[in-house]
Amino acid sequence: MVNGYKPATLQEALEIRAREKVVPYAGGTDVMVRRPEGIPFLFLGDIEELKQIKDDGEYIRIGAAVTFTEGLKSELVPALMKEAVSRIAAPAIRNAGTFGGNLGNGSDKADSVLAGFALDGLVRLVSSKGERVIPFDEFSVRRGVTDLRDNELIAEVLLPKDKCALPYYYQKIGGRNALAISRVAFGGVYDIRDGVIRSITAAVIGGGNTCRRCRDIEASLVGKTVAEVKANAEEYVNAYAEGLTFSRGRVSAEYRRTVVMNLIRDYLASLE
Amino acid sequence: MNGICFVLNGKETCYAGSATDRLLDVLRDDYDMKSVKCGCKEGECGACAVLIDGVLVNSCCVAMGAVDGHEILTVEGYRDTSRFAKLSEKFAELSAVQCGFCIPGMILAAEAILSANPHPTEDEVREGLSGNICRCTGYNAIVNAVLNAAKEGDGLW
Repeated sequence: MVNGYKPATLQEALEIRAREKVVPYAGGTDVMVRRPEGIPFLFLGDIEELKQIKDDGEYIRIGAAVTFTEGLKSELVPALMKEAVSRIAAPAIRNAGTFGGNLGNGSDKADSVLAGFALDGLVRLVSSKGERVIPFDEFSVRRGVTDLRDNELIAEVLLPKDKCALPYYYQKIGGRNALAISRVAFGGVYDIRDGVIRSITAAVIGGGNTCRRCRDIEASLVGKTVAEVKANAEEYVNAYAEGLTFSRGRVSAEYRRTVVMNLIRDYLASLE
Repeated sequence: MNGICFVLNGKETCYAGSATDRLLDVLRDDYDMKSVKCGCKEGECGACAVLIDGVLVNSCCVAMGAVDGHEILTVEGYRDTSRFAKLSEKFAELSAVQCGFCIPGMILAAEAILSANPHPTEDEVREGLSGNICRCTGYNAIVNAVLNAAKEGDGLW
């Protein structure tokens, strides 16, 4: 194959990756838009080890080359992730785009990555030397920059089952229903027992140069009653607005700030 | 491996060019599949949609290396089927075609919808066509054509 490699196994792919500079390619929906020139492509889309969705008891493990459509068909993929993925682009893109690609392209508007952030997801990275498993927010450094090393490939997304089982909140704000890139998106899961918040997450697209969580604010909510949080909702909404950064893109910074604050307000109001 | 070997409209073929070449360009320029239209080259319009192993994909977002070992269907390979005949009849009957540029993608999107679900609801048809942009018709005629094809073509899908 000219200008490309199509390994049959992950091991073979890692050997090629260690040996030379290649562009990892799974679905192509982002790579073919950017279309880097002069570097061979490493085709990963048919590697069976990267196409599995499994439940190992502790985590739901989604292979990096699993397409969004395949994820939507799986009974193992949690509802928050499915809702986020179901609103990506349109069927032809979801049929090709993958969970690994959505992470690996370093987009700050990646909808499945938001769900991974909200679910305390981990990314399993492999190389010919070994592997490492890191949280989503360590992997996604900033727009266009990830922690993927030159000899590594994304193998799996790991979603903790205890978080997958929790009730969730999700909203995506785009310019239209289909084929919309998130201007703002917001998702979280929460564990409330006897009216007391045991745990809560909130992940935001549109509040920084990558998906963001404000863990200090989340921590400040734990142990509070839902009634207390709702009574002081504006305090938390303002704390979030202070903790995030809003920049102009397709929409103004002020628009993003207003919408994010509205969604946080709505999230807190929805807790029960 | 020598070349990129795949099945195009039922015929085996091998492509000797670069694995990074765009499937859209290769289909049009090397295989003369002119039903595959070049619209946006960003996966935004659906004019270049083809079926790979029966799955709807935008060919502008596919590199040739990825099709090695797979089967591609374009309208050139679909137009002699009774399914196409039914869709064509209903598209014509409901004036669902104006300039025609988006129609090959629409037809293959309709095939993808109906092969997965022979009796879709209107919402399911709209969702299935949501990645195919049409500047002329306002969509209603196309949606109705697919729904009528499903109704009158009972048993074809």
